Amino acid sequence: MRKEVMIDASKCNGCLSCTVACSAAHIPSGDPLEALLTGEPSRIAVYSVHGKAVPITCRHCDEPACVNACMAGAMQKNAESGRVKNENTGHDCIGCWMCVMACPYGVINQREKEGRSVAVKCDGCVGRSVPACVESCPNGALTYGPVNEYAETKQRQAAASQVA
Amino acid sequence: MTRRSAHASTNQMLERTRDMGLKTIFDRYDAQQPQCGFGMQGVCCQLCSHGPCRITPKSPRAICGATADTIVARNFLKLEVHGAAAYSHHLEEVAKTLKATAEGKTPFTIGDEGKLKEVCKAVGIKGNSTKELAIALSDVILNELRKGSDDPLALVKIFAPKTRLEAWEKLGLIPGGVHSEIRDALTKTMSNITTDPVDLLLTTLRLAIATGYMGLVGTITLQDILLGTPQISEANADLGEIDPKKVNILAHGHVPLMATAVLQAAQTPEMIKLAKAAGAEGIDVLGSMCTGQELLQRSGHSAKGMGAQMGNWLAQEYIVATGAIDLVMMDMNCSIPGLKEVADRFHTELVSVDSILRMAGVDKNVDYAPEKAAEQAKELITMAIETYKKRGNDIVIPKNKAKGVVGFGVESILGALGGSLDPLLDVIKKGLIKGAVAVVGCTNNRNGHDSAGLQLMEELIKKDILVISAGCMSSAAQIEGMQDPVSAAKAGPGLRAVCEKLSIPPVLSFGSCVDIGRIGVLVTALADALNVDPSQLPVAASAPEYLEQKAVADGVFAVAFGLLTHLGPVPPVTGSPLVTQILTQDVEGLTGGKVLVELDMVKAADAIEAHIMTKRQGLGI
Repeated sequence: MRKEVMIDASKCNGCLSCTVACSAAHIPSGDPLEALLTGEPSRIAVYSVHGKAVPITCRHCDEPACVNACMAGAMQKNAESGRVKNENTGHDCIGCWMCVMACPYGVINQREKEGRSVAVKCDGCVGRSVPACVESCPNGALTYGPVNEYAETKQRQAAASQVA
Repeated sequence: MTRRSAHASTNQMLERTRDMGLKTIFDRYDAQQPQCGFGMQGVCCQLCSHGPCRITPKSPRAICGATADTIVARNFLKLEVHGAAAYSHHLEEVAKTLKATAEGKTPFTIGDEGKLKEVCKAVGIKGNSTKELAIALSDVILNELRKGSDDPLALVKIFAPKTRLEAWEKLGLIPGGVHSEIRDALTKTMSNITTDPVDLLLTTLRLAIATGYMGLVGTITLQDILLGTPQISEANADLGEIDPKKVNILAHGHVPLMATAVLQAAQTPEMIKLAKAAGAEGIDVLGSMCTGQELLQRSGHSAKGMGAQMGNWLAQEYIVATGAIDLVMMDMNCSIPGLKEVADRFHTELVSVDSILRMAGVDKNVDYAPEKAAEQAKELITMAIETYKKRGNDIVIPKNKAKGVVGFGVESILGALGGSLDPLLDVIKKGLIKGAVAVVGCTNNRNGHDSAGLQLMEELIKKDILVISAGCMSSAAQIEGMQDPVSAAKAGPGLRAVCEKLSIPPVLSFGSCVDIGRIGVLVTALADALNVDPSQLPVAASAPEYLEQKAVADGVFAVAFGLLTHLGPVPPVTGSPLVTQILTQDVEGLTGGKVLVELDMVKAADAIEAHIMTKRQGLGI
């Protein structure tokens, strides 16, 4: 069963550990301090909504609007892993920002890389068994697992609340 | 969600800075969201290179093994140490100035000889002249600051109510010299020294008592002796009071020494002539924050000619953003780093007048020295006049103005009541006034710049509870007219009748944040008059918008003193259920005081009223 990053915003306390871990996971050394110093962008964001911290990141949609919008063919959904990414896909991002406009969650950003402006988004931490953001979350707000398992846990909680 | 100020003038200036593309404190507050929940709960420890450690559901102990209880209590004590240190710095400056003044080396003259004699008598200092007494008292205070922690503070023994001394002695809380207490507290909070949360919290109480009787009561006493005891007088406030035709000097901070020297020098023909030669109509010294409150409450004597009060801590960038401030003289604490960015957008010169303060980007420092104060004052005014010449036309001054009555304290209240506290006690006993609450301390963005403070004041006076203000809350009340006797109309019928009879407002300004000591003196006098302990009185303290470390020391002092102490922002202790329970419940069994955290000001006022009614019942009134 394919695993997904699931978010329980009620458990997030806004510590931003996920954003630091994400940046660190995307540089060769994996060092968080170096990631902060070099300005490596985070691909997950946490916003304050009426004072409540809410994480938001790519949902790796099944029919991704960003992939449809990408004229360069850089943005692709990998059929096997289910990940949607625009790096190392055989085509280069040309910086037209169609994906940025198309994404309903606004989770694609712009960054400078090797002298060019390119789109940057969550790549699902290809090669890691658990995405860096999930691994770093101290609060259990981010989890990684099959969607059905997440749903079942939630169902059990909802069921328990019926008799509580 | 952008928070706004409670004051129209501040909001107008906030819009102006935004139109200019200037980022100020409200914008920076938004940019900092969301803020880390571990820090807010106090469970982040950054003491050693293993850290930072956070206590989380996955990791209930730090790498060294410290629990949330240890980390929270240690962090809390460290916050208070900062406050205690800053208050001692203030006291030291005042003590040195009093001594230099007695030796005839400063532009000041002793402002209250009666108080000098009275305090010297209480402390056991003998002398033949004012000069001898003032020098001896200064030396005693400087020695009290420096002596060992095993040598009990004289001021605590002399000024604390007997019942308090008994309670504190039982707990081993009678502190020694303040500097030594600070050293001990800092040593305890180093990694791997004291990890017992209860001992750490008892240390906060002990350090708070040292701060209360030296940094607060000691400082106000010496300031009164030096600059005169506050007298009831009229005051003007808000940005509409700025006169763009004048050279405008903003006296900003907490220590009113250089500010008083500048204010006095600004009225000399020599300086006025210089200002006029530059094209100005004169020189105004305007008040900001606590330095402003100190001048305001002494405008009848040492601070004659004082201009209006501009605002409190949060307003500083917006005062400068009028474009009409030529020089900001910054003493000791509370000048925010962001002030420089706003000052640079205009012509405004920022100058540190305290050797303790070096602001990034500010290269002009006129470090206050008592013996040089007269010359330094002229230097500062000359700098302001030179800067005035560079003032452009980009000036916007809001129309808002307010007036009020300030200068309350035990002495001025006794004066107004004919020499006895009985009339005040009578109206409390009769229930016309149910009790009194000190609404004090800082202001902050989290609580909407004075919004929480003003709401609490309004709720309390509606319930016939007299409000006493100090610190940033004094400015908050002044600007919204709460210290104008006409605001008695907003009070409940009992308090309103008393205020109208005496022509006083329902919110009495006791001055600056260090004047919290003045409130302590009043509570002591009321307790003595009724022959009870402060914890039995129908009174409470509240810091509805507490912000920084001096306020932590103030708040813990109020708890040690036996008072219910309400806080608006949640202090960073909630990560430890034990510390939270001790501060909000268990400490009451030890000192009679406790912390009440309530963010809803209507509910806070209800809880405070319930507390006051319980205390009234206890006294049988």
